[in-house]
Amino acid sequence: MQDTTPKDIGSLSFGLMEPEEYREMSATKIITADTYDDDGFPIDMGLMDPRLGVIDPGLECKTCGKHSGSCNGHFGHIELAAPVIHVGFTKLIRRLLRGTCRECSKLLLTEDERDEFRDQLDESRKLSRDLNDVTKAAIRQARKKDRCPFCGEIQYDIDHEKPTTYYEVQQVLTSEYSQRIAGAMQGDEEEGVERTTPDELAEQTEIELTRVNEILSGSFRPRESQRKAIEKALDIDLTEEDTNKLMPSDIRDWFENIPDEDIEVLGINPDRSRPEWMILTVLPVPPVTARPSITLDNGQRSEDDLTHKLVDIIRINQRFMENREAGAPQLIIEDLWELLQYHVTTFMDNEISGTPPARHRSGRPLKTLSQRLKGKEGRFRGSLSGKRVNFSARTVISPDPTLSLNEVGVPDRVAKEMTQTMNVTERNVEDARRFVSNGPEGHPGANYVRRPDGRRLKVTEKNCEQLAEKVEAGWEVNRHLIDGDIVIFNRQPSLHRMSIMAHEVVVMPYKTFRLNTVVCPPYNADFDGDEMNMHALQNEEARAEARVLMRVQEQMLSPRFGENIIGAIQDHISGMYLLTHDNPRFNETQALDLLRATRIDELPEPSGIDDEGTPFWTGYDVFSELLPDDLDLEFTGTIGDEVVIEDGQLLQGTIAEDEVGEFGGEIVDTITKVYGNTRARIFVNEVSTLAMRAIMHFGFSIGIDDETIPEEAQSRIDETIVDANDRVEELIEAYERGELESLPGRTIDETLEMKIMQTLSRARDNAGNIADEHFQDDNPAVVMANSGARGSMLNLTQMAGAVGQQAVRGERINRGYEDRTLSHYEPNDLSAEAHGFVENSYTSGLTPREFFFHAMGGREGLVDTAVRTSKSGYLQRRLINALSELETQYDGTVRDTSDTIVQFEFGEDGTSPVKVSSDEDNDIDVEHIADRVLDSEFESAEERQEFLGSKPRPTNLSEHADDRLAEGTEVTSDD
Amino acid sequence: MVDVSQHELVPEHTVLEEEALEDVLEEYNIDRTDLPKIKRNDPALPDEAEIGDVIKIVRDSRTTDQSIVYRLVVE
Repeated sequence: MQDTTPKDIGSLSFGLMEPEEYREMSATKIITADTYDDDGFPIDMGLMDPRLGVIDPGLECKTCGKHSGSCNGHFGHIELAAPVIHVGFTKLIRRLLRGTCRECSKLLLTEDERDEFRDQLDESRKLSRDLNDVTKAAIRQARKKDRCPFCGEIQYDIDHEKPTTYYEVQQVLTSEYSQRIAGAMQGDEEEGVERTTPDELAEQTEIELTRVNEILSGSFRPRESQRKAIEKALDIDLTEEDTNKLMPSDIRDWFENIPDEDIEVLGINPDRSRPEWMILTVLPVPPVTARPSITLDNGQRSEDDLTHKLVDIIRINQRFMENREAGAPQLIIEDLWELLQYHVTTFMDNEISGTPPARHRSGRPLKTLSQRLKGKEGRFRGSLSGKRVNFSARTVISPDPTLSLNEVGVPDRVAKEMTQTMNVTERNVEDARRFVSNGPEGHPGANYVRRPDGRRLKVTEKNCEQLAEKVEAGWEVNRHLIDGDIVIFNRQPSLHRMSIMAHEVVVMPYKTFRLNTVVCPPYNADFDGDEMNMHALQNEEARAEARVLMRVQEQMLSPRFGENIIGAIQDHISGMYLLTHDNPRFNETQALDLLRATRIDELPEPSGIDDEGTPFWTGYDVFSELLPDDLDLEFTGTIGDEVVIEDGQLLQGTIAEDEVGEFGGEIVDTITKVYGNTRARIFVNEVSTLAMRAIMHFGFSIGIDDETIPEEAQSRIDETIVDANDRVEELIEAYERGELESLPGRTIDETLEMKIMQTLSRARDNAGNIADEHFQDDNPAVVMANSGARGSMLNLTQMAGAVGQQAVRGERINRGYEDRTLSHYEPNDLSAEAHGFVENSYTSGLTPREFFFHAMGGREGLVDTAVRTSKSGYLQRRLINALSELETQYDGTVRDTSDTIVQFEFGEDGTSPVKVSSDEDNDIDVEHIADRVLDSEFESAEERQEFLGSKPRPTNLSEHADDRLAEGTEVTSDD
Repeated sequence: MVDVSQHELVPEHTVLEEEALEDVLEEYNIDRTDLPKIKRNDPALPDEAEIGDVIKIVRDSRTTDQSIVYRLVVE
């Protein structure tokens, strides 16, 4: 227990490990490639040596004595028969080879140059710039040297053949030197080069004639100076490239001699990392806990990929040693060396380009060390940034309008699986016993209990009754989820904070999560098969935090635009529109029925008495019952009329999308900001239930007849279309005669296209207008379009009038065959029909060609959305990762983790978008707010004078507690 | 040549006096290196600004009329 206390990390340092360090931390040397003996026991000094840790439960670790689970495992080591290169450092090795002398290993820079680069490095470090820029420049400078400034040795170029081979490239005298010289001395008549006699050559090169003859006969190899002289005289090249392979042991020797001061200039700390450590002589063997073997059903053991790889390494290592001791030829030794290098390379990274990946017997590439870390499913992104969790559930969602927006319907089988820990006290011991006695199968039951001595017992059908009697204060009971518990609910993609909100549980039958339809917008959920995740909270702090900060009602206002994101949608809006548009009258029964699902159980005074003497209530008055008593509001509404609310009474206007809708419904927004989230939640709940009652009262359905228009209108539409076609023909003719005048900045062709598009879109609009004339205001499609519930007048136009021009990439359809869209048309036909103009409406039906063009346009839309979501998802990921460490501090500044200031005041003004007036035209009406606050706060003028404090809104912890606090009125229930 | 610092969209940049700077650093409890940076060759800087100076920038803001930002001149 003592090492569970949190500790601060002072610093982290990265560097190379010394071979001696590997040996020191090693629990054992590994020498055999075998894992288990015939009896199934791990072999000593084998890959599964018990000193490397335990994975089988019940066994004791031979190194630390702990049991599986608490022993983290211990490293072992393999003594490699020959040094091999570490693949992770190939680039750095290449740099060092190129930048240091092949003889004395010193950096190929004069002392002055070296000091200069060291100063540059220090400066870069201070300004936290990229050190690589300096070290790269240093290497570049060093490579320019032909000779070592210290020992004078000639430097050769280093070739790197990926992944782990290095060559020295030397220019040496070619073996065909005599032929080449003779050939050049012949001269070339065509190019006008004269013959050279040996005498002349001897003269030009100042070499003795006898020597020249010896060289020409091939019996004397010219020295370097002589070679250069001959090359100069005859203008030929007598060298060839000779590649000399550098073995890892050579490189290691080379690196060992690099002085510490020179390494510093290359950005390496010599105290911590020596370059020769990049060449491995000892290979650490990961503990067995990092590569557990799995016992299959048939009793066979299946080893981890890493173990397989280690077996390969040990086998080759042994063969290497045997062969070397037996004095095998150099060729065989080199082959084995390369094989050992290959195995060690793939042990660390099995996805190196140019190297065939090591494969499992089945042909699947092995998952080795770097594959465990890399990528989406790797250790970082897959196991550390995100992980699978307990106490979570996922299932399909479906709607339930009887729930409050704060609630979520949880299937009973989920509720019985997910538990909450209950600390039994004297006060809840009765409940605890009841839960336990219900057992794990009965609904508010329990799955486990924990005795005060820490022993955890499973509650079963058999022992539940006995166990229930034993439960006392001090026990812990893991009880099922029950109504009123708080859980976290989430739908992916979690693009904003409203994608994860806290809900109160309502346990229900069947298999789906149920949610109120008004929370669909923040989750962007629908019910076409969407699934959502639920997380049960496991401690009191989390539950309190979720309740106060994360509950749906606390998220009503979106920080994106500062207005409500939760509000009436779709049918709710149609329903409110029907209820308030013509201010219909209802008799007592009807009015009561409309309000039956709200808190209102007594009707107000009737709005009037009709001719037959029976009292009636208007839609306005029914709706006004839901409003706070002192609400005053005046604004221009959805359908362009003035909406007037005075003292909580709707006096004028139609209630629709802009009044109670999801994104910035004025009334919902105002109630949230003025009366608080709790009042707003009640309002939205009641608006949705009232609207559902209203829409059921009036009846609302849509059919094909609602989009059909009379014969006479149809012929008028046909006329407009014919007219438009004629006009397009005229345009084309004018174009062909060359009479069309181009618009400024456009070519003639573009002008024609634009004019045709204009003509056709006007034709579609005209057709739509004709169709619209024949629709009454009570047409369901018109109601939906006007109220903003769903659809637009354009959709209606397309259904009843004409679908109009189909477009791909914003142009008429121009693709398909050469010079035409389909083989049905003449080449270069520019007419409306040939380029995707759909004359028909959806009701009248499309012709096959129109249908095809329509599908083309439709497909583009689908592809666009698919591309957009993936592009924007990646963009968002990068943005979030870049900004994730920014935090608003208590002093109002925004800083990153190194305390660098990013904004001096959060968002320039230090305000939260959800706490600020969202009205574009009006600034914050401070006086109005102040008056309202003062009025409500103080009864007498003196008290008002004393005013300095503020009244905090009560923190509402539950649906049922809220109702009492929200308003003075006594309230029964939400449902 | 156009002098961008005279453009109406370029906010006012002034070099902060040493005393005022002390107050700012104290207010936010930071070193001057924790301030946002501005390059010496930024055309909006006044001519007398040197590396190491702190610049006070007064911007028009939609929400607060004026917002003040400080930046450290770097190379």
